Parts: sequence; C-alpha cells; structure tokens
Amino acid sequence: MSFQEKNIVVTLTNFSLILAFYLFRIFQMVQSDTFTSTNLFWLWGIIALLAVIGTIVATIFTHIVGGIVHKVKTNEDPHIEDIQDERDQMIELKGTKVAYTFSSIGIALAMLTFVFGQSPLVMFALIIFFGVLAQVIADIWRLNLYRKGF
Amino acid sequence: MTTSRIRNNIRTLRFHHGEMTQQQLAEKVGVTRQTIIAMEQDKYSPSLELAFRIALVFKVPLEEVFSYQPEDTNT
Repeated sequence: MSFQEKNIVVTLTNFSLILAFYLFRIFQMVQSDTFTSTNLFWLWGIIALLAVIGTIVATIFTHIVGGIVHKVKTNEDPHIEDIQDERDQMIELKGTKVAYTFSSIGIALAMLTFVFGQSPLVMFALIIFFGVLAQVIADIWRLNLYRKGF
Repeated sequence: MTTSRIRNNIRTLRFHHGEMTQQQLAEKVGVTRQTIIAMEQDKYSPSLELAFRIALVFKVPLEEVFSYQPEDTNT
C-alpha cells in the first residue's frame, strides 16, 4: 500500500468514526430532548476539532507504527514515498469533485427539510452530517481509483 | 477492472535496459513506483510530459513505448 493510500485509509477511518460519533450524539440529544442550538454547535466544535487534530495525530501515529513494523519485519529502514505525482494529484482532484457533488446534494436536501417546515436546527444538523458523509464517500472513491485504475 | 486503451511496452523496455527496476525508472522520471506499476498494468494513462520523459529514459521514440488501441479493435 502506497503512502497516499495509507493516508486515505487513515482519513477514511477517522471520518467514519466521527460520523458514527456524530449520529450517536444526535440520536442521544433527540431522545433526551436536549437537541438545542447550544448543544448542536458544541457538537460542531467537537467534530471540527476531531476532524483536524484526529487526522493529523492518526496519520503521524500510523506512519510511525508502520515504520517500526517494517523495520522489525525486514530489518530495513522504511522508505517513505511521500512525493505526490500526477496520478496522485488526479485521484485527489477526482475525489474532491465527488466530495463537492455529495456535499452540494446534501446541503440542498438539508435546505429542503427547512422548506418543508422542519426547524433550522435539523437543517444545521443535516449540513454537517452530509459534509462528513461526503468526505467518507470521496475517500472510498479515491481508494477505488487507486485499486482499479482510471 | 478499468483499463486504458493506451498500451505500453514499459516492462519489456525495462528488461532490455539492464533489467531496470520499477523503482529506478520511477526515480528517473519523477513519479512513485505505484504509478509505474499502474502504467504497466494499463490502469493509468500518463500525461504527455511523463510519456516523453519515459521515452527519453529508454532513448526511443514515443511510439515505441506507447501505442493507442482504438475502440473498434477492442470488440
């Protein structure tokens, strides 16, 4: 697995966990009748923090552990191919396009709930849900392009 | 599996150039080894610039490295 693919797997895992945590917290709030703007925006803050810091920490940790495992298995120094060539850039762009498409559809759907009489909080909750979901789908799309080619 | 209609002889040319490794070729043309692997498996069509760089490494014309297979010959 290449350096870029490892990074995508780390991001995908991180964002999938964030999505699960977000949905769990939202359902908890709805069930306990604490689905308020203060709680929702607090959750937004946590999600943003987890997305940025979680991804950075997880990426560093994965490469350190990967390097140690490689050294123990082969007794060779790990060779990190951290250059991003034209194929990597192309795959990243295609993934970004998918992310934009899905998040745009998601935002439109979120706005539609507002139009159909739901509270603005539902719309805000759906916007972040579709944002994270778009990232997950884009990462799966990128991995697929690395595996199957294009 | 998605395959390109652009075929190449990179594997053969590497063999005829002192059994050059994928890593060596990758370093010479400035891409990752994974990109060379993807090209050899017809999973990626390189840019024109990369195609010329590969041809330059093997010191052969571009058409000796790459060939285009039109759609109607696939069927």
